[in-house]
Amino acid sequence: MAEDGGPCVVAAVGQGGLCLIAVDAQAHALGLRPGEPLARARARIGTGIAVYPADPEADAAALERLCVWARRYTPTVAPFGAAEGGDGLFLNIAGASHLFGGEAGLIADLAERLAKNALPARLALADTPGCAFALARYGGARSRAPIVPPGGNAAVLRDLPVTALRLEPGIAASLRRLGLRRIGALAEAPRAPLARRFGQDLLTRLDQALGHRPEPLLALGEAPSFRATRGFLDPIGHQDVIVAVVRDLMGEVAPRLEAAGLGARALRLTLHRVDGHASTLDLGLSDPTRCPAQVGRLLDLRLDRLGRELDAGFGFETLRLDVTATGPIRPIQVRLVGGASAGQGIGRLADALRQRLGRRLGRPEFRESHIPERASAPRRWMPPDRAHPARRRAAEGPPCRPLILLRTGEAAQEVFSLAPDGPPQRFRWRLRLHRVAHAEGPERIAGEWWREDAPVRDYYRVEDEAGRRLWLYREGFHSANAAARWFVHGLFA
Amino acid sequence: MRSEDVVHAGAGREEALVALRARLQAPALNSVAGALPFGIADLDERLPTRGLALGSLHEIAPGAEGAEAAALGFTLALVARHLAAKPGEALLVVARGHPIPYGHGLADLGLDPGRLLLFEVETDTEVYRAVEEALRADGLAAVAGLVDAGLPLKQGRRLTLAAERTNPLLLILRPPGLDEANGAATRWRIEAAEAARDRFGALTRPRWRVRLDRCRNGRNGDWLLEWDNAAHRFDLAKTLARHAPAARAGHG
Repeated sequence: MAEDGGPCVVAAVGQGGLCLIAVDAQAHALGLRPGEPLARARARIGTGIAVYPADPEADAAALERLCVWARRYTPTVAPFGAAEGGDGLFLNIAGASHLFGGEAGLIADLAERLAKNALPARLALADTPGCAFALARYGGARSRAPIVPPGGNAAVLRDLPVTALRLEPGIAASLRRLGLRRIGALAEAPRAPLARRFGQDLLTRLDQALGHRPEPLLALGEAPSFRATRGFLDPIGHQDVIVAVVRDLMGEVAPRLEAAGLGARALRLTLHRVDGHASTLDLGLSDPTRCPAQVGRLLDLRLDRLGRELDAGFGFETLRLDVTATGPIRPIQVRLVGGASAGQGIGRLADALRQRLGRRLGRPEFRESHIPERASAPRRWMPPDRAHPARRRAAEGPPCRPLILLRTGEAAQEVFSLAPDGPPQRFRWRLRLHRVAHAEGPERIAGEWWREDAPVRDYYRVEDEAGRRLWLYREGFHSANAAARWFVHGLFA
Repeated sequence: MRSEDVVHAGAGREEALVALRARLQAPALNSVAGALPFGIADLDERLPTRGLALGSLHEIAPGAEGAEAAALGFTLALVARHLAAKPGEALLVVARGHPIPYGHGLADLGLDPGRLLLFEVETDTEVYRAVEEALRADGLAAVAGLVDAGLPLKQGRRLTLAAERTNPLLLILRPPGLDEANGAATRWRIEAAEAARDRFGALTRPRWRVRLDRCRNGRNGDWLLEWDNAAHRFDLAKTLARHAPAARAGHG
């Protein structure tokens, strides 16, 4: 909105320079319309227009935020796609309206909340998305949201222009030229010639609006089957209170999960702020659970980590807990002594660490490779029933692999060897001179030719006079012409 | 209320004092549910609990720059020894500055990689948080933290308090220098030492020069320890004679 209260418009680069893509009420009253070149608008109106550059990404993000917010009414919320202009949203309120005192109550509540947030919106309620869209866009009176009674689609749509059917601009223009200006006329026209001339899309749109053909909505996220919501008269903002409420919500969900023999594997908490902003927190669990205390604790850890990142503003007015993924809970024989089994304890630890520090627990894992740096790497920890066991047993013989493996070989300088192809007598590495007291080797490890053309490495285990044990290798075969290149690759305990 | 009973009921002043002293010492000893013995009489005798007390904090530091690998080896050898005796898993929390131990190297040292958990974090603060969290978990027999800087008193106290309930082996490995009071039960200083040799002169078991630098209610000491990775056993190194080639190299 312009600071001085004058008309304001949003412009973006279009055909032949900057064009208007959105205008506010004042600009609309002055006769400005989206699509008009900015220069012409300025010439007609004068310079008193505030012009803002378009930001489609921010628009899309704002629309998504609005969709998340609108989930308070129903889990199925779909943002407008490209055909609808991408500036609105569909709510499928089938089976949800009674929670808000019927359809009229829901629409009134929605209108009131949107108005409170200074979002001018046009609402319409109908049997089909197509009809609701047409009414909201071309329905005329703005004062009251039209509610179409069941089966009343055709009657309402009859007098609306054909553009209300979400048609491509070219098709709409051709239809107007043919004299088919109203949807009623289109519906009465013979279908076969229309399909031949304009393709199937036109009839699909018409049938969708009239309810002869279903229109699936591309809902944002999936509709979870287990959820609990709580609204507050006074907004809450304190961490302990939020955790206590979530524990209660989980307590509400738990019996339903139990009846289904399931446990929550992933949870989503949506926090609705007083000012209409909604933020979501996802909690993952390694073992399915129904335990409210465990969920509460994980959330507590997560909030600890988020700290000020989660802005409570003036407080949250509604908290909703959705179970987004479930898994079967197998009853576990609890030992009389010692409580939970070891695997469970580690699972809880993994969850707690993930919530508190945002990182995953790992375990060393082995791979089939002779190249030392490829042969082992930490891998994500998995619960015992899903884990792959580490394939290598503890060794019996003397250590032949270092305890610390450097990421890549680090070049050893000032290398001095007695024999040209023998191990070094002394070398400098990381600024320290190492005098070799004992060397064992070589252990030759060839590169993996099917991956890359890496030179052969000759590894030596070396102990220096101070007792430090290192793992060195010479790159490539010995050659009389080139100086040998030595690298330190690891440290033994 | 009981102590008063003792004082009044005791026949003499001496007797009451003895009883009171016993009561004073009792909590300190009772809180220790167990210990990890080294299996070396001379070493275990110097520790008040005849071994590394479980459920209290032990600090390990390299004796000098360049002995980091030896100190890590000693730390992990202790973990391996504990895991061989107790069920459960071990957790290693590693701060950014430290290298992650190599899987095959761990196995060579006698640690079962299937029972070791790794957790990589950025800062020391995160190490302490993760270790504290781990001390609350069931099923962990040993927790070791590798930190970038010294161990501050506040963190040391927090860890000690947290460890008292679950009684795991708790080790913190820190860089050399930076000695400060931190509430740890023992402080160990590790330096590299020449490895044991077999009769052909090949390197076999790793050895470390181990110094018990501080020990609450115990005595300090100095040992040259040898780690048997197959039997999970510490031995006192027999430093009688050096093998001929090694001796020659040492003088040359």
